[in-house]
Amino acid sequence: MRIPSTLPITLGELARIQPLSGAETHLADPARKVEQVVLAENFDRLRRCTPHVLVVLHNEAATGGWSLAAALHLAWERNLSAVVVSRDVAENSSVALAERLHMSLIIIDEDTVDVALRLAGQVSAPAAARALRQARVAELLAEQTGIRGVLGVLNRELNQVPVALVIGGAVIAGQAAALTERPSVRQIEVEVHAPGERSAARLVAAVPVPGPAALDQVESLLRLARPSLQAAWAHSRLDAATRASHEQAAFGLLRRLALETPPESSELPEVEVPSWAGELGWQVGEANRAVWLAPVRPSGEPAPEITFLIRASWQRGHTTWPLVAEGDGWISWHSGTDPSDVAALRRGLVAFRDSAVAHRLVIGVGRAHPGVGGLMRSVAEARLAAHVAREGGPGAVQWFDQVGANAALAWLPTTEIAQVADLCLEELMAARDRAALVQTVLAVLDAGGSLSQASQQLGVHRNTVLARLARARQFGLTYDEPGQRLALHVLCYALTSLWGAGSGASSSSGSGSGSGSSAE
Amino acid sequence: MTQTGYVGASSSITAEDVPAFYEGAKFYSPAGGDANRSSVISWLAGLLDRNGPVPLLKVEGVPPETPCVSVCVLGSGSAMADLPPAGDEFVLAVQQIERLQRVRFGAVYPLAAATISALVAVVTAAQLRVPLLDADGMGRTFALIHHTAMHLSGVSPTPLAAVGPTGESVLVEVPAGPRADRMLRANVDTVGGWAALAAYPTTAGVLRRAALPGTVSRITNVGRLLLDRTDPDLLVTRLGAITGCRRLARGRIAELEHLSRPSDVTIPAHPSSVVVDEIGGLGRQLRIELRSEIVAVFADGALIAGAPDLMCLLDVSRGALATLDSLEPGDVIDVLVTPADAIWYSPRGMEMVGMGSHGIPLAHPRQR
Repeated sequence: MRIPSTLPITLGELARIQPLSGAETHLADPARKVEQVVLAENFDRLRRCTPHVLVVLHNEAATGGWSLAAALHLAWERNLSAVVVSRDVAENSSVALAERLHMSLIIIDEDTVDVALRLAGQVSAPAAARALRQARVAELLAEQTGIRGVLGVLNRELNQVPVALVIGGAVIAGQAAALTERPSVRQIEVEVHAPGERSAARLVAAVPVPGPAALDQVESLLRLARPSLQAAWAHSRLDAATRASHEQAAFGLLRRLALETPPESSELPEVEVPSWAGELGWQVGEANRAVWLAPVRPSGEPAPEITFLIRASWQRGHTTWPLVAEGDGWISWHSGTDPSDVAALRRGLVAFRDSAVAHRLVIGVGRAHPGVGGLMRSVAEARLAAHVAREGGPGAVQWFDQVGANAALAWLPTTEIAQVADLCLEELMAARDRAALVQTVLAVLDAGGSLSQASQQLGVHRNTVLARLARARQFGLTYDEPGQRLALHVLCYALTSLWGAGSGASSSSGSGSGSGSSAE
Repeated sequence: MTQTGYVGASSSITAEDVPAFYEGAKFYSPAGGDANRSSVISWLAGLLDRNGPVPLLKVEGVPPETPCVSVCVLGSGSAMADLPPAGDEFVLAVQQIERLQRVRFGAVYPLAAATISALVAVVTAAQLRVPLLDADGMGRTFALIHHTAMHLSGVSPTPLAAVGPTGESVLVEVPAGPRADRMLRANVDTVGGWAALAAYPTTAGVLRRAALPGTVSRITNVGRLLLDRTDPDLLVTRLGAITGCRRLARGRIAELEHLSRPSDVTIPAHPSSVVVDEIGGLGRQLRIELRSEIVAVFADGALIAGAPDLMCLLDVSRGALATLDSLEPGDVIDVLVTPADAIWYSPRGMEMVGMGSHGIPLAHPRQR
C-alpha cells in the first residue's frame, strides 16, 4: 500500500519551495519524481547518474555553451529528472534545447553547491518538504479576503490540478474543468460549511493520476483553504445581505409613493422618480417592464442565500437590473424608451433559463408602462403572469400580454374546489375512468358544445366522446343543463389541473383550458 | 570551367594558379580573415611572373639526402595586414638556418598547407629558386608549431629562425619541441606582431616518412572548385570527392554567443559559439563551438564532429565559404566536416590536437 511519507517528491513540488521557488524553471514534466540529487562536477559523474536523478551542474560541467548542451544531452540519455545550472552559464539556446529534448531545466541565481545540499535534504525527507510547502500555501491563503482570491491561490499552487467551488451543480469560482469527469482523473471533494449552515458548498479538485500531486496532499491543501473560504464568504454574505435589505426598503418606499398619490380617474399616477433610486443603479423610465421570479411551489420567504444565488445569475450581464425579494419571489424590471423593445429582456430570460430550472422558478413578465406608477402596475401584472406560468413547470415564462382574462383562472383555489367534488359527485370520484370522463366534459364545454371539435382536441373518435358524455351524465355531470354549466365547468377545470399537476407537471393532456400558456 | 590543368604529382605553380591556391588554402583554415587577400595574391603572382613558375615535386621525387626546410607565418593574420612584409623575411629566416647548419636547402615545404602559410612557402621557393615539396606538416592548420606530423615522427622543429617585419630575428634551439612555441610566442609581439618562421630543417629522406604527402596540390584543386561558383549542393559533392568532406547539416543561424569562458591557456582563443537551427532533417539544434577555429559541432547536445576534424561553414546563399567574423543571425549555412589526416586520430595525435586540447573532455565521435 501507498505510504505517503515515503513517496518520492516530484519536480513540481520541489519547484514550489525554496530554494527552487525563486529560480527560473522550465519544467518539461512537473510530475517527474526526483529520487536523488547529484552534484556533478564533470561529465564522468554525469555519465554515472541513474534515472530520476536531479543533477546540479558544477565546476567543469558548468562552463556554459557546449558544456550545458552536452550535459542536457547526457541527462536526456540517462533519463534524469532535471538539470539545475547557475544563471551565468544558461542562455536562450540552452532553454530551447532543453525544451526540444523534453528535459527540465532550472536556472538558479544562488550558489550551486548550497542549492544542491538543500535539495538533497528535501529529496531525502519528502514529508518535511511537503509540510514546508503546505505552510507556504497556508500563508498565501491567509492573505486572501475574497472567494476568487482563495480559488486563485489553490489553482496556482496546485498547478495542473483544476479546483472549483461548487454550490449545487453550479461553479461559483475557480476552474469548471474540475467537474469534468475524465479517465485517469480522480476527483477530490471537500465540503465547505458556511457559518451556521448545514452544508452549502464543495471544493472540487480534479487530480490527474498519476500526477504531480499526491491525492492526500491535494485534499489537505483543500482543507487548508476552508477557513479562508468561510471568512471570505461570510464577508460577501454580509455585503449581499446589506444590499438586499437596502433594495427591499427602497422598493417599499417606491411603492408607497405610488400609492400615496391619488389616482386621477383611470390615468396612471404621475410620480417623480426619487433620486435615491439612481444611487441603487435603478432606472425608472418611459417603458418599465417588470419581471416576477417565483418558485413553482411557494414555500414562504426564500432564504438570503437563495436570493444571493438568484441575484448572481439574474444580474449576469445586466448589473443594472434590480432584484428585490418580495413575498415568496423576486421582482426585477427593465427600463427603456421603446415599450415594444423586448429584445434585451428576451435575451436575459433565455440566459436565465438554466438557473430558473435549477432553482425551480417560473417567470412572469408584465407589460411596459411609464413612470413609477406604471412600474407598480407592471409588477402586479408580472405577478399574475407568474401564477399562470406555474402550469408550465420550472423554467416556464409567461408574458402578461398573452394571458388576459385567463389570469383569473390561475387564482382559482383548485384544491378546495376539488374537495367539493368529493362531496357532491361521490359516484364520479369513485369511478375508475373518472379522469377521462372529466377531461372529455371539459373539452366539450371548452369547445362550446361542439363534439367534433372536442374529439379532435382529445384525439379520440366522436362516438367515444358521445359514450363518455353519456356515462358522465349518469354520474351527475349534467353539463348541458344551463343552470349547472358554469359550476361544472369550473369543477372540471379544477379537477383536471389538479390531476394533471399530480400526474406530472409537464403533461398538457389534461389542460384543455385554452389559456394560451406558452412555456418559452 | 576548365577541368584540365589540375595540378598533378609533379608539376608547378604558376601566377595563374595563385587565386585558386589562395582559396584552397583558406578552405583548410576557415578561421582566417580576408584582410590581406589582394595584396598577398598580387605579391605572389608578381613574384611568379618575374621568377617563373615554382616546381612542385613529390617528396619521393627528390633525392633523399636533399636538405629541406619548412616555412610559415607565425602570429596573427591581422597583424600581418597592419604591418605588411618587406618581402625578404622568409628568405632571411631560411638563410639564418643555412648559416647555422652550414647547408644549402634544396627544397622548401610549408609547415601547414593552409592559410597564408601555404602562400609564403611558394614565395620562399620562388625567391630561393628551389622547388616546393608537395607535402606539409599539418594538412590543415593547428595552433602550435609542434602540432606537426614531423614532431610526431621525432623530427625536432629546431633550430628555427623567426624574422619579424622589423628586420629583427630570433634563433631558437631547444631539446624539447613543445618548448619552442613557448619561447617564440614571447617574442612575436616584440618583432612586429607576426614573424616569418623557418623550422624543421631536415632531409627529403626523413620527410618521406614524416610529412603528409600531396597536401599542396590538394589545396590548388580545392581552390579551383571554390572559385567556380556553383550550386552549394554540387559544390559539396565535388569537394567530397577531393577532400572526403561531407555536410553535417544545413541550418539557419539563430544566435551568436560571445562568452569569455575559461579555456586552455596554452591556446590563444576567444571562445564563443554559434547556435544554428537545422532546416529539414530532424530539425536539430546545432551548436558550433569556436576558438581560433571551429573546434566542435554539437547536435542537440551530442558531439557529432570535433577537432582534429576540419569543420567549415558554407554560406548557402553565396555558395562560398563563410569566414567566422562574417556570420550574422539569420544566415543559412551548410556545416561541412572534413576528416583530418589519419595521423591526427592516433592516440598521440588526439592528445595533442584533439578535443581535450580545447578544453572539451568528451570522446571524439570517431572514438566511440
